[in-house]
Amino acid sequence: MLRVANLRKIYDATKQPYVALDGVDVEIVKGEFFCLLGPSGCGKSTLLNILAGFEPATSGAVTAGGLAVTGAGRERVMFFQDAGSALFPWLTVEENVRFGLRVRKIPRSEWDGIIDKYLRMVDLDRHRGKFPAQLSGGMRQRLQIARALAVEPEVLLMDEPFGALDALTRRRMHAVLLSIWERTGKTIVFVTHDIAEAILLADRIGMMSVGPHSTITKIFEIDHPRPRDLTDPKVARLFHEIEALLAPAVARSEAAVD
Amino acid sequence: MTNDAQAPMLNARDDRSTAPTPPTPAAAWQPRATLRSGWTRLGRGPLRGVVLAAASLTIAFVVWQLLSTYVFNPFLIPPPVEVIRTAIPMLLSGEIAADVSISMVRVLVGFVSGSLAGVVLGVLLGRIRLLHDLLDPIIELLRYLSPTAMIPIAVIWFGIGEMSKYFLIFWGTFFIVLVNTTAGVWRAPIARQRAAECLGANALQIFVLVVIPSAVPYIVTGMRVAMASSFMSIIPAEILAADSGIGYLLQKSSLLLQTNRIFVALLTICILGFAVDRLFRFFVDRVLARYMSFIATT
Repeated sequence: MLRVANLRKIYDATKQPYVALDGVDVEIVKGEFFCLLGPSGCGKSTLLNILAGFEPATSGAVTAGGLAVTGAGRERVMFFQDAGSALFPWLTVEENVRFGLRVRKIPRSEWDGIIDKYLRMVDLDRHRGKFPAQLSGGMRQRLQIARALAVEPEVLLMDEPFGALDALTRRRMHAVLLSIWERTGKTIVFVTHDIAEAILLADRIGMMSVGPHSTITKIFEIDHPRPRDLTDPKVARLFHEIEALLAPAVARSEAAVD
Repeated sequence: MTNDAQAPMLNARDDRSTAPTPPTPAAAWQPRATLRSGWTRLGRGPLRGVVLAAASLTIAFVVWQLLSTYVFNPFLIPPPVEVIRTAIPMLLSGEIAADVSISMVRVLVGFVSGSLAGVVLGVLLGRIRLLHDLLDPIIELLRYLSPTAMIPIAVIWFGIGEMSKYFLIFWGTFFIVLVNTTAGVWRAPIARQRAAECLGANALQIFVLVVIPSAVPYIVTGMRVAMASSFMSIIPAEILAADSGIGYLLQKSSLLLQTNRIFVALLTICILGFAVDRLFRFFVDRVLARYMSFIATT
C-alpha cells in the first residue's frame, strides 16, 4: 500500500544542510495498523508529511498503491493533533464533514447518507448542529476522524492525534479508533512517542532513531490479540524491551539539546 | 497598528446584550462573562449591565454638575444642565442632524472604500510572498503618516470639498485594515490548509473556503479599530478644512467662544462613535458570528 525505499530528506536551512532522514526503508501493507515510534526530533512527523505528500523527499522512492507520491492524494488523509486548528471553526459538525464531500464533487444526493453514517460511527450524530468550539477535545478528534473517513480514503495518516488529550479520553479514543479500524479495514500510519500507545494499537511498530540521519532501526511485530493489557506479561516484556532500546536514544537527544 | 494589540481586543467580545444564543460560537465567550460577574459579587442577568451603566452615567453627570457649578468657572466648563439646554434647540432646528449626517457620510465613504481596498490588497500581500516583500517596506513607512498629518497636502490636492475628507478617512482606514488582513491571511493555520488539501480541495478552494474565512476575525478587528480611528480623524479634518460637519461646528463655536455649543458637539461625537461601534458589533454578531470563534488548542 505504502512503500518507502532509501528515503533521504535534507533541509538546507542557512547554509548548513540538515539530514533529517537517511535511508528509510519500509513497506506498509493494506489494512495494517503501523506505528512510528520515537523520541521527539527523530523525524517521524517529517516522514509522515512526506507520506502525505506535503513535503517532497530529497531522494528515494515513495509510492502509494504503486504510484509515486507527488502531492496530497485523495486516498491518503492526514489527521492532526491540534483539532482546533485542523477543523473549520466556522462550520458546524455536519458542515465540517460535508466540506470534503463538496470539494470532491460527490453527488449531492449521497451527502446526507454519508454524513449520517460517519457521524454515527464516531457517536457525534446528536451534536451535528454544534460548532467545534462547543465540543470537548475528544469530540473534536472524533469529528476529525469522521471528516476524514467521509471521503473514503484508504490510508489514515495520524500525527500524534491523541497527544493533547487527557489520559482517560485518550483511552476511549484508542477504543474508538480500533473499532473503526476493525470495521473499515483502513490502513493506518500512526505517529507517537508513547510506547504504551504504540503497543496497545499497532500491528507493527517501526522504531526510529534520533536525528540527524534518522531512520527506522527496528520493526516489532505484535500478534497479541486486542484489546491488549499492559500488565499482561507478554505485553509487559515487549514494553520493557522497547523502552530499553529507546532509553539511550532519548538520552542522546537530550544531550544534543544541552 | 501592531499585531500584539489584537488579542485583547478580540477577547473583549463578551457583550451579553448582543450575543446570540447557542448553538453558535458565542457560547464560547460566556465563561469569561460569568467569571467577571463572580468577581464583583453583584447579581447576574441582562439587567445588571444596564443598571450599572445608568449608575455610572448618573454619577458622572452629578459630579460634573457640582464641579462646574461650585469649583470651576461655568463659562469654561458649562454644567450639563446648561449643555442640554443649549442642545435642545440645536436638535429641534435640525442643525445637529445636518452636521452629523454630513460627517457620517464622509466617514462612511472613506471607511467603506478604505476597508475594501485594505482587504483586497491585504489578501494579496498575505498570499503572494513577492508582492509582500516588495510593498511591505513602503507600507511600513507610510502607515506612520496619520490622516491628520495628511490634512495640509490633502487640502492642496483636493480642496476643502468632500473629496479631501473621503481621502483622509480612506487613508486612515486603509493601512489599519491592510496590516490586519495581511496578518490574518498569513496566520491561517497550516494544519487547516493541509486538512482541506487532503479532503480534496484545490488551491483556489483552499484560498477561498479556508484561508479567507480564517482571516475574518483579524479583518473585523482591523475594521473596528479603523472605524474608531475614522471618528478621530474626521474631526481635525473638518476643523482645518471644511465648512460643514461636526468638526466645523466645533471650530466655529470656538471662534465665537460658545463653550456651550462646543460641549454639545463633543457630546455628539461621543454618542455617535459609541452608537456606530455598537451597530458594527451588532452586525458582526448577526452575520459573522460563526467566523469569530477562536478555539483554544485542545
